Amino acid sequence: MLKDLIIFSTFVKLLLFPTYRSTDFEVHRNWLAITHSLPISKWYYEDRSEWTLDYPPFFAWFEWILSQFAPLADKEMLRVDNLNYTSDATIYFQRATVIISELVLFYALKKYLTTNNMKNKNLLNILAASIFLNPGILIVDHIHFQYNGFLYGIFLLSLAYAKEGNDLMCGIMFAVLLNFKHIFLYLAPAYFVYLLRHYCFQETSIQGTKKFSLKHFFFLGVSVIIIFLLSFGPFIIMGQLGQVLSRLFPFKRGLCHAYWAPNFWALYSAMDRVLIVFAKRLGWTLNESAIGSITRGLVGDVNFALLPQVKANHTFILTLIFQMASLVKLWKRPSYKNFLVSLILNGYSSFLFGWHVHEKAILLVMIPFSLISADNIALFRSYMILAVSGLYSLFPLLFKLTESTIKIVICLLWFILTFMGILSNLNYKRNNIKKYSQSNESKLSYLIKIIENIYMYGFIILQFFTGIVHQIIYKDGKYPFLPLLSTSIYCAFGVIYSWIRLSVIYFLGKDDENQEVNS
Amino acid sequence: MSKSSETVDNNGFIIPNNDQDPVVDSPAERWLNWLGQTNLGKCSTVITLLFGIYVRWNVGLNPYSGQNIPPMYGDYEAQRHWMELTLHVPMNRWYYYDLEWWGLDYPPLTAYVSWICGKIGSMFNPEWFALDVSRGFESEESKLFMRSSVLILEYLIYVPSVIVFVNWWLASKSWQKRVPVLFILLQPALILIDHGHFQYNSVMLGLTVWSLNCFFYEYDVIGSVAFCLALGFKQMSLYFSPAIFAYLLGKCIKNKPQGFILFVKLGVTVIITFAIMFFPFLDSVEHISQVIIRMFPLNRGLYEDKVANFWCAINIIIKLREMFEIHVLTRISLFATLLAILPSCINLGLNPDKHRLVYCLANSALAFFMFSFQVHEKSILLPALPITLLILDEPFWSSWFNNVALFSMFPLLKKDRLILPYFVIWFMWNWMGSFVQRDVKPVVLRYISWVMTIIFVIFKEKSD
Repeated sequence: MLKDLIIFSTFVKLLLFPTYRSTDFEVHRNWLAITHSLPISKWYYEDRSEWTLDYPPFFAWFEWILSQFAPLADKEMLRVDNLNYTSDATIYFQRATVIISELVLFYALKKYLTTNNMKNKNLLNILAASIFLNPGILIVDHIHFQYNGFLYGIFLLSLAYAKEGNDLMCGIMFAVLLNFKHIFLYLAPAYFVYLLRHYCFQETSIQGTKKFSLKHFFFLGVSVIIIFLLSFGPFIIMGQLGQVLSRLFPFKRGLCHAYWAPNFWALYSAMDRVLIVFAKRLGWTLNESAIGSITRGLVGDVNFALLPQVKANHTFILTLIFQMASLVKLWKRPSYKNFLVSLILNGYSSFLFGWHVHEKAILLVMIPFSLISADNIALFRSYMILAVSGLYSLFPLLFKLTESTIKIVICLLWFILTFMGILSNLNYKRNNIKKYSQSNESKLSYLIKIIENIYMYGFIILQFFTGIVHQIIYKDGKYPFLPLLSTSIYCAFGVIYSWIRLSVIYFLGKDDENQEVNS
Repeated sequence: MSKSSETVDNNGFIIPNNDQDPVVDSPAERWLNWLGQTNLGKCSTVITLLFGIYVRWNVGLNPYSGQNIPPMYGDYEAQRHWMELTLHVPMNRWYYYDLEWWGLDYPPLTAYVSWICGKIGSMFNPEWFALDVSRGFESEESKLFMRSSVLILEYLIYVPSVIVFVNWWLASKSWQKRVPVLFILLQPALILIDHGHFQYNSVMLGLTVWSLNCFFYEYDVIGSVAFCLALGFKQMSLYFSPAIFAYLLGKCIKNKPQGFILFVKLGVTVIITFAIMFFPFLDSVEHISQVIIRMFPLNRGLYEDKVANFWCAINIIIKLREMFEIHVLTRISLFATLLAILPSCINLGLNPDKHRLVYCLANSALAFFMFSFQVHEKSILLPALPITLLILDEPFWSSWFNNVALFSMFPLLKKDRLILPYFVIWFMWNWMGSFVQRDVKPVVLRYISWVMTIIFVIFKEKSD
C-alpha cells in the first residue's frame, strides 16, 4: 500500500500544477537565481528583489543543488534581475522539485512507522497516507508553494531515530533541520531536555538514578557544533555572521501577521476590539491611534486601544513559561512518548504565544501530533479538533474562489479517510477493552463530546458565511475583514482548546498509559 | 507486495463484508476493498465523487480551447457566445444571428440550457454575456463560472446516471460495484474534452445513459423521452439511435399482443417530445429547415483535421476527396455506415436483450465514427461511452479503446495546451485499473501501443 501511496500522491500533486501560486513562488525562484549566479559571499547581501534570502545556509545550499538542474527546464529563471519570471517551464520545474524533495518525507514516514514493528498494518497505512497527503502540506507546499514536506521529512527522520533509540542521530538530524529552517528552534527546548536526560545521562546500577555521561555529552556536542560550522562556517570566515543573522531574525515585524494566525493574540486583539465598542458607549479614554487603523494586523506595529501593549519580549517569556511546564515532566521521565508530547506542546506554546506567528506554523503542531493521534480515543479527539480548526485556518491562504473548491474537497476527503480510518481502528480496540471493563463514560464527558461535535460542525456554517453569506450581505464591500476575523477567532478557540485538552491528558495521564504506544 | 497481508489486519478484527474472495490486483480494487473492510464501504461512493470533483476542477484550471487566441478563439467561446445569443436575441433569430461568429449549430435543448446558464451568469456579472461587446470575453471569474457550469451539469446528469447504471449492471456482484464507478467517472477522454477543452458532452452522454437505465427497469417510454432529449441536446447522439431503435422495435415485435400498443406509445412520445423541443421553431417551413441545415452541415467535407477514422486512414493510399464530388462521397459514406451498423442491429432486433443493447450501442457509434460523413475527433467520445460502461465485462478491450481514443485526441489537446493533465490523468487511470498488466496474451499489442505513443509524442515534439 505504501507503494500505491507514493504513486497516487504524485498524481494528486501533479494535478495541482496550474493552481494559484503565492509570492513564495517568486521567493524561491529568486533564491534559485541568487545561489546559482552569485558567489557565496553575496548570498546574504543580495537585495535586488524584496524577497531576500532569509533561511539558514543549508537551505541556500539546497536551492543551489536544485538550481544545478534548472537549466534543463529554463535558464532564464536563474537570472537574479529576472523578477517575477513565470514561464511554464519554470513553474513545472519548481513544482516538480517540491514533489521530488518530498521523497524525504516519504522515506522518513516509512522509517518511522516501521520501527518497533508496528503490527497494525492497516493503521500504519492510514497514518502514512494522512501525513503524506496532509491537506496542510498540499495547500502550503503544492498550491501556495514552499518546501515544508521536505523539512518535515527531516524532522520525522530525527523522530524516527529517537524512537529507534539512536539519540545521537536524532540530535544530528535536528541540528541539520535547524540549519534548513530556523522556525524549528521553537522545538529546541524539548530536544535539549530529552537528549540531555535520555542520552547524556546514563542509567546507573541503582534503580531510578542516573549518572551524567561526559562521553555522550561530548559526542553530541561535537557533532552538533560540526554541523553548525558546516553551515555557518564559511560566513564566519568571511565575517558575515552578523549580516546572516540579521536576515534570519528580522525583529521589525509586528505581533500578528497580515491575517491573524488563530492563536492567543488573535483572541487578545479581538477582545480589544470588543472593548472599544463598550468603551465608546461608556465614554472611556482610548488610545486614539489604535482605533483609526481598520487595517489592523497588517505587518507593522499593532496598537491596542484598551488592553496593555504587547512587546516581542513579552511573547517570548510567555512562550518559554508554557514550554517549561511540559519540560518538567519530560525531565522527570524522559521516555520517547513524553518527548513526543512535549514536542507537540512546545509547538503549541510557540504557535499560540509567539511573535509574528504565521498560520502555516500550525503544521509544526499537526505533523507530530498525527503520530500519536491513533493511540487512544482521548488523543484522537484532541487531534481531530486541532486538525479541523488548524486546517480551516489555512483556508484564507487560498483566498481566490478558484482554489476554494480544491481546498474544501481535499479537506473533506482527508477528514473522511483519516478520521473514519483511525476511528474504526480505535473502536475495535475499545470494543476489546469493553469486554473486560464496563464503559465508564460519565455524563460530563458525554456533554463535552457533544459540544466538541457542535464546534466542529460549526465550520460548515462558518464556511457558508465567509464564502457566500458575507458577500451577499455586504455587497458594497463593507467590513472586508469580517470573514478573516471570524475565521481566525473561531479557529483560535479550537486550537487553544485542543492544546488544553492535550495538556490535561499529558499532565494528568498515568505514565503506564503513556507507554501504550500503538502496538 | 503480498496482496492479502496488506489488506487483512493481523488482529483479524476486520470482517470482510464481501460474499466472494475478490481477486485484488489493481490499486483501485485494492483501495475500495480496503475501504469496505475498514467499514468505510458506505463512504466509498462519496469518496469517489469527491475525488472526481478534485480531478475535474484541477483539469479545469488549465487553459480551454482558444484561450487567449483571437480572433476566433475556440469551443469555449462558442458555448459562451450561445449563452450571450440566447439571452439577448429573440428566439426566432437564434439560428440566423450572425452565423459567421460561432452561429448556433446545436439542437434547441443546448440553446435552452445555454439560456439558463446565461441567465444565472448574468446575475453574477452581466458583462460576461453582453450582446456583441462580450465576444471573446475572458476573465478569471467568467472562466470559473463556465467551468463550474460544466461540473454542476455533469454531477446532476451524467454522474447519477452512471451510478444507477452500475447498480443495475452489476446487481449480482455486491462488492465490485464500487470499482467501475471510479473507472467510468475518471475516464480521461471525457474529462479532458469537457473540463479541459470545454464542451458539455457529459449532458448528452448522461441523458443517453439515463435512457439505458430506463430501458433496464422497463420504463421504455420514459427512456425514449430521455434519448430524445439527448438528441435534442446534441445531434451527435444520432450515433446511438440505430441501436436504440433496433432494441425498441425488436421489443415491439417480440411481445405480440402488447407490442403494437408499445409501438404506438413510443411513436407518439417521440413525436411529442420533439414537437415540444422544436416548438418555437415550427412557425414556418423555412425556419425549421434553417435549424436542420445548421445542425447538419453537409457542405463541410468528408472529415476535418486528422480524425482516427476510416476515411482519414484510407486517404494515405487512395485520395478519395480528389476522385469524387462531395455528394458522391456523402453517399459512399452513408452506404458504408449503414453496412457497418446493420449486422449488429439486426441481431439486436431479433433478440432485444439488455446486455446486447450496450454492445450494439458501442458498435453503432463506432460504425458512425469510422464511416460517416464529417466526423470530428471529439466524436470518439460517443463510442467511448458504451465501451467504458463495459469496463468490467471487457477490461482489456475497453481500456484499449480508451487509450487509443485518448491517443487520437493528442493533437487537439496539445493545441489546447493540456499536455500535463493529459498525461497525468491518462496514466492515473491506467495505473488505477492496472489495465496494462491485466491480460497476458494481448499484452504484446498493448506494449506496441505504448511504444507507438511514445514515438508519436517524441516526433510531435520534434516537429514543432
